[in-house]
Amino acid sequence: MNPQAEDLASPKRRSFLKASLLFISGLISAVIAVPLFGFAVLPALKKAPKKYVVLGIVDLLKGSRYRKVNYTFQSKDGWIQTNRKRSVYVTDSGNGNFVVFSRVCSHLNCLVRWEESKGQFLCPCHGGVFDEEGNVVAGPPPRALEKLSVKVEDGVLYVKEI
Amino acid sequence: MKEKITEFLAERIPIRSIETHVKKPLPKHINWLFSLGAMALFLLILQAATGAFLAIYYSPSPDHAYNSLNYISKEVPFGGFVRGLHHWGASAMVIVVFLHLLRVVVYDSYKAPRELTWIVGVLLLLVVLGFGFTGYLLPWDQKAYWATVVGAKIASTVPIIGDAIGRIMRGGEEVGAVTLTRFYAIHTIWLPWIAFGLVGLHLFLVRHIGSSGLPKNTPKDMDAGKPFYPDQLFEDSVAILILFGVLVVMALFVPVPTEEIADPTDASYDPRPEWYFLFLFQLLKYFEGRFEVVGTFVIPTVAILLLFLVPFLSRKERLPIHKRPVALTVTSISVLSLISLTILGLRSPRLDSTASTASEADQSKVHRSTDTEVFDFGLEEEN
Ligand code: HEM
Ligand code: FES
Repeated sequence: MNPQAEDLASPKRRSFLKASLLFISGLISAVIAVPLFGFAVLPALKKAPKKYVVLGIVDLLKGSRYRKVNYTFQSKDGWIQTNRKRSVYVTDSGNGNFVVFSRVCSHLNCLVRWEESKGQFLCPCHGGVFDEEGNVVAGPPPRALEKLSVKVEDGVLYVKEI
Repeated sequence: MKEKITEFLAERIPIRSIETHVKKPLPKHINWLFSLGAMALFLLILQAATGAFLAIYYSPSPDHAYNSLNYISKEVPFGGFVRGLHHWGASAMVIVVFLHLLRVVVYDSYKAPRELTWIVGVLLLLVVLGFGFTGYLLPWDQKAYWATVVGAKIASTVPIIGDAIGRIMRGGEEVGAVTLTRFYAIHTIWLPWIAFGLVGLHLFLVRHIGSSGLPKNTPKDMDAGKPFYPDQLFEDSVAILILFGVLVVMALFVPVPTEEIADPTDASYDPRPEWYFLFLFQLLKYFEGRFEVVGTFVIPTVAILLLFLVPFLSRKERLPIHKRPVALTVTSISVLSLISLTILGLRSPRLDSTASTASEADQSKVHRSTDTEVFDFGLEEEN
């Protein structure tokens, strides 16, 4: 065997080739994987600041008792400027104050309904029940219903986005 | 002419050895349950074909998805049929894959040397469920929307990284346009590639190791049966034809159930998942308060991990299931629980009906009227 061929077949050279293969494929994978991961995942993790949005006119809400109110506000959904729809229960607690319950069940996000005859919020999914203060009475929900932060300005009731 | 073609091909590709491959004899004792794998493969191809055509008209955006499917169902020639095949084919897929898994368990076919075939099979089961979950958001109707809201929240209960998983699933804080496009991409591109890759591996392993046949086959019987082609393939095709016939009848005569368009504020909608996730829906009811995570995370994860480990749990020789008391007990309990949970889920009371059980119609009227008392202070006009 001539010395050159021996060189080409040497175990040392082979292991260098193997290491290079690993390096090249690793390099290509990493250079493509990192941006792709960021592409798919990072926008999803971005947290938008919560702002106050208009819920309704105070005069029209006076005397409300667990009144269901649907409202919408503008918000971005990816590339679309969209009207987000929300639904809450509003109670007039006197002196111009309001209690606003989110309808989002603290279990798995189904929408609870106020049942006047029972004085309870019922969840249509897994049987969650909340009392009139929003505390869990029965079923799987781990926490009370959320009360939204509210403020009144110029006769308009605002709620903090959820 | 035929000979000439054969010769032409034989000089270029190893058709003779392909021939011996496909004519390889199977074990002597085998039955029609061994066609379930072929039936699953047929369904996968049927789903890929009908899905590729649905994608011609379907539009993955909240503004258009619902209407584009309506258009397919009502206006496109054969649209109802193609959509029906895809819809009922999906349910059939879940059933057939589950039965295929059961047949592998019943005949003890997962034991050495077929552990890898089983593991790839479990991955395929997860892929099939993934197809189901991502697929039924696409119509963007009430069921679609709420199943995804709840599904993403289930993922969010995973300890520590749950919130991030939920967000990654939705593409953000809420189920919306970004959720629909990612589910569409996963359903129509990611999962099909993964599924066909895994099926390729699955079949390579099946063919390389050889079918197991019934446990009563002696080592001598293992290649003393009928050839795969044409005998077994004929039997597979009869099973497939029957399955296809059922699907055609369903597609022609049972309309695809469609609900109202997705509405995040709906007052009277009782969310229920597709039938093959009802067991989970029902299971979640039993874990209250801080035990919630047991139903949403611990039990499903443990079940899947155990499923992967099945082939390594026993090193005994292969036996039919009635001679394996432990396997028989565990399998029966699991299957019975799945079925009972599904039935309980199906029967689980609707909110409106529970509300009015106390007294009759009057009360449900009061209930309705409070429900419809809606104030809409929308900003829609203001834009
Ligand atoms: C898309 C889903 C699937 C397809 C298309 C598929 C296809 C097939 C086919 C064509 C066979 C050979 C014929 C037969 O024995 O039935 C087979 C065998 C097998 N499958 Fe699957 N399968 C799927 C899912 C699964 C699942 C979920 C499991 C179990 C967790 C599994 C485990 C096995 C095993 C262990 C064998 C070898 C059986 C033997 O040699 O007797 N497969 N599969
Ligand atoms: S989502 Fe309300 S009880 Fe499960």
